[in-house]
Amino acid sequence: MKRLLLRRLLQLPLILLAVYTVTFSLVWLIPGSPLEKSDGRRPPDEVIEAMNKQYNLDDPWYFYWDYLGKASGVSWVIGDQQGPVFDLGPSLRHENWTVNEILLEQLPISMTLGLSAIMLACFIGIFTGVLAAAKPGSFFDFCSLLVALAGISLPAFVTGTAMLVAGGLWLDWFPVSGWGQLKHLILPSLALSLPFAAYISRLIRVGVMEQLASDHVRTLRSLGIPEHTILLRHALRNAFLPVLSYLGPATAAAMTGSFVVERVFAVPGVGNHFVEAVLGKDITLIMGVVLVYSGLLVLFNLAVDLLYSWFDPRIRMA
Amino acid sequence: MSRLLLPLLLLVLLIGFVMSFGDSRPRADLVVANENEVFTLDPQRMAYLVDLRMAYALYEGLLRWNIEDFTLEPAAASSWTAEDGGRVLKFKLRPDARWSNGAPVTAHDFAWSWMRLLLPDTAADYTKLFWKIRGSTDFWTWRTAQLDGFTANPWEDKKNVGKSTANMLERFKVLGSADDLPEAVAWNPAIELQNERLLLLDALKTDDPDHIRKQLLLSPAHEALFLSLQDSASRQAEAEWMWKQAEQVYTRDVGVVVNNDHELTIELETPVPYFPDLLAFGPSSPVYRPVVEGWVVDEETNQAILQSGWHTVEQPPLIDQERIEISPVTGRAIQSHGWARAGKLVGNGPYQLDEWRYKRDLRLSRSPKFHNPDLAGFDSIEIRSIADPNTAVLAFLKGEVDWLPGVSAECRIDLLKQKSDGERADIHAIPGFGTDYFSFNCRPLLSDGRPNPFADARVRRAFALASNKQNIVEGVTRMKEPIASTFVPPNSIPGYVSPVGLGYDPEQARAELASAGWVDRDGDGRLENEAGEPFPDVELLYSTSSPRFGRISVELRDQWERELGIPVILIGQEIKFYKDDLRQGNYMIGGARWYGDYGDPTTFLDLFHSKDGNNVRGFKNQEVDDVLLAATLEADPDKRLRDLAALEARLFQQDLPMLPICQAIDVTMYDPGSLTGVTHHPRLTHYFWNLRDPGAQP
Repeated sequence: MKRLLLRRLLQLPLILLAVYTVTFSLVWLIPGSPLEKSDGRRPPDEVIEAMNKQYNLDDPWYFYWDYLGKASGVSWVIGDQQGPVFDLGPSLRHENWTVNEILLEQLPISMTLGLSAIMLACFIGIFTGVLAAAKPGSFFDFCSLLVALAGISLPAFVTGTAMLVAGGLWLDWFPVSGWGQLKHLILPSLALSLPFAAYISRLIRVGVMEQLASDHVRTLRSLGIPEHTILLRHALRNAFLPVLSYLGPATAAAMTGSFVVERVFAVPGVGNHFVEAVLGKDITLIMGVVLVYSGLLVLFNLAVDLLYSWFDPRIRMA
Repeated sequence: MSRLLLPLLLLVLLIGFVMSFGDSRPRADLVVANENEVFTLDPQRMAYLVDLRMAYALYEGLLRWNIEDFTLEPAAASSWTAEDGGRVLKFKLRPDARWSNGAPVTAHDFAWSWMRLLLPDTAADYTKLFWKIRGSTDFWTWRTAQLDGFTANPWEDKKNVGKSTANMLERFKVLGSADDLPEAVAWNPAIELQNERLLLLDALKTDDPDHIRKQLLLSPAHEALFLSLQDSASRQAEAEWMWKQAEQVYTRDVGVVVNNDHELTIELETPVPYFPDLLAFGPSSPVYRPVVEGWVVDEETNQAILQSGWHTVEQPPLIDQERIEISPVTGRAIQSHGWARAGKLVGNGPYQLDEWRYKRDLRLSRSPKFHNPDLAGFDSIEIRSIADPNTAVLAFLKGEVDWLPGVSAECRIDLLKQKSDGERADIHAIPGFGTDYFSFNCRPLLSDGRPNPFADARVRRAFALASNKQNIVEGVTRMKEPIASTFVPPNSIPGYVSPVGLGYDPEQARAELASAGWVDRDGDGRLENEAGEPFPDVELLYSTSSPRFGRISVELRDQWERELGIPVILIGQEIKFYKDDLRQGNYMIGGARWYGDYGDPTTFLDLFHSKDGNNVRGFKNQEVDDVLLAATLEADPDKRLRDLAALEARLFQQDLPMLPICQAIDVTMYDPGSLTGVTHHPRLTHYFWNLRDPGAQP
């Protein structure tokens, strides 16, 4: 257990270095420049040249090492840099902000949204999955299949916009835009949870059905254990393991934000940056977001592995 | 199962905890939705409309526009006079103007802010607009050369050894003649350089890199001196000395003269009739030096600054300017832009910045220190970021937002239809200061080496004559934009009479093609030139970032194929590749939009100068360049506008480097019953302070 933890934590910097290098090369290959305006006009050549020099954009090699040193904390350790330990630099397009500030302000928002979406997804998914598995082939099973299909196949800008129009405009229950109160959280987390819920529901249904047909359930039944106890305490518990391994990357994906959901509901999270920073070639912001995202992904997978052994003591970590 | 419930319970608590920090602030008096986040609140660095709108709220320039007709009015200036035929402008500043921290606004603030605007270290997008000021171009060149000299290393330079040698020699010359070099700079006046210098200069004249390299190896004195100057402490001291020089050179050589605290003179190279217009433009707004540079001063000094302005105290040493860092590597002043944030920003405008949360919202409130408290209509304004256009419209319909300055393309058509059906009074379509057009590639050869049929103006005219623009705005874009035959939007610039370009005349179009030698010689339905080569398939390039240009392109293809019998291939490109293709001339015809920046036809017509950075058409015409140059020298403003109109007539009746389609329309949503003061003038400069609630008690 400790060895696993240690090994994974030692791997983390190496993974991040690899991610950094690959992203950096990709970013440098995208055509365009962060200095270009969205309508395609460019500042005069003199300004572009001055700007490139100012931000070291004319020298990718220098930029690579300079940024690596600052972002990894090495510059801070050797005393080249004041300020934050991990300095992800100023945003090139929104220069009044540093990438650190942007992430600190917006990551908690995306995480709150993501966590509540994953929770909702668990509730919806387990509930529909168990009910469907309890009576396979029933009308309810059919309904849960429909919901799952819709959740997986309908893109969030359709479901999201529909929810906005229905819940925000017609019923007038929820605000259309904004963030900060519980009422702002409900619609976006519901919209974000749907695909996850659909997936979990299917996983649970298959798992529970498999368990119900297994030998140990037959034994339990013969012992006269009530059916709902079997279902909830024995079958679901074993069926939950695949869901748990799915939850790691799913949580990471939901928490680092969804571009579409955040955009449709005007949620000020980091999901936006994945697309907008790339389109605007805001190099520092892209690098910052990708690094933080990769770090989170690794940590969540680790957390899931740890949870696994806690949840199911039969699994011992090497 | 309880093992699973525990983490879930914890999560619920966590989320409840996070959300309980929610805002319960009252709604602002006016809520505005922005599709794009504000990029910067540093006026010198601004380039976008959303940013400029903020500049006009937070800062006050010398002048401002009357937004009904875009004539100029005094703002931070109380009056101004023009002398020497408009070459010299003299301003008197309001004595009662204050920064939002209470310090007086003085002529020094403007002079210093324009130095920022003119420094390569700031890299202001609009710096070139202000290069009309006497000495400003030389100032830029001087600083750039200084920085180039600082980074030149001819012994290591593999590519441009001649240039870096010249730069180094220049650097040594300056260092040698300086009398205020700091101790820390490792310059040794005892080293004899003269002989080597002459030999190096001779070598430079040959322009032969190998020869220069050889000569460099024979210059031990230069090399020794150079190496000792490479020491990092020495470089730091030298870079800081250079930075100080910059301010001295600016004050000495550039035509911005502070007569006294409240009198300012601007001297231009030549009279520029539209220069006062630039003084109402956001990037010329003043910024507050102690905050921008992050001065760390003691309380006594601080009081003196607040009392009589920063120019009355001694500047703190660079170490106590926490937002300026002089790089010992590049020699440049690296400015950290964190000052332009709520709680730090000091402005002189009618509003002050209370809060700014990234891509979320931005709050303004009436500035208590502003000299004219009645100027601003609303006490508080919230500018909310809503990136999705549908959501923005929904938020408006629901009343969460009072004003939607720009409704995005996709929602417009339905809304405009509701407007014309009389169902909605809160939708407004305003012809803007921009034109949609298709560029012709005018280069003689295409990027793959084939001859370019569009190098011939007759072919370009034919394609323009065969385009039915009325069909496009009624049937394709369905927004009934005013169609355009010229580039400068009509009636947008006081005193400028737009000429009329080519209309729709397919008959004439075919005649133009025939006169260019393109006729169907063998009767196969395709046009051939005299050599019998068929007219190449026309490649029509557009960006897929919005469907607009794609749809117009389809319609143009149909019109051209029908009227001219020339096959057209549509090429939709992702925006980045599209821009690259345009710049490299890898296209025949390509769609785009251009917005003007300032109130003069040259903001559009400069695009046709052969050396303009946005001349993606490769259009080169000496006569056009000459007229544009003559216009910069013309002292009589009326004649100048007439000359420019004649130039535009010529460009759009004969040369046709581009095919204008229609004037860009700005669609905005607000209820006229609860909001007034939104300008409908094409320049579309919105002043937040000009907005009023007609129902409010005066």
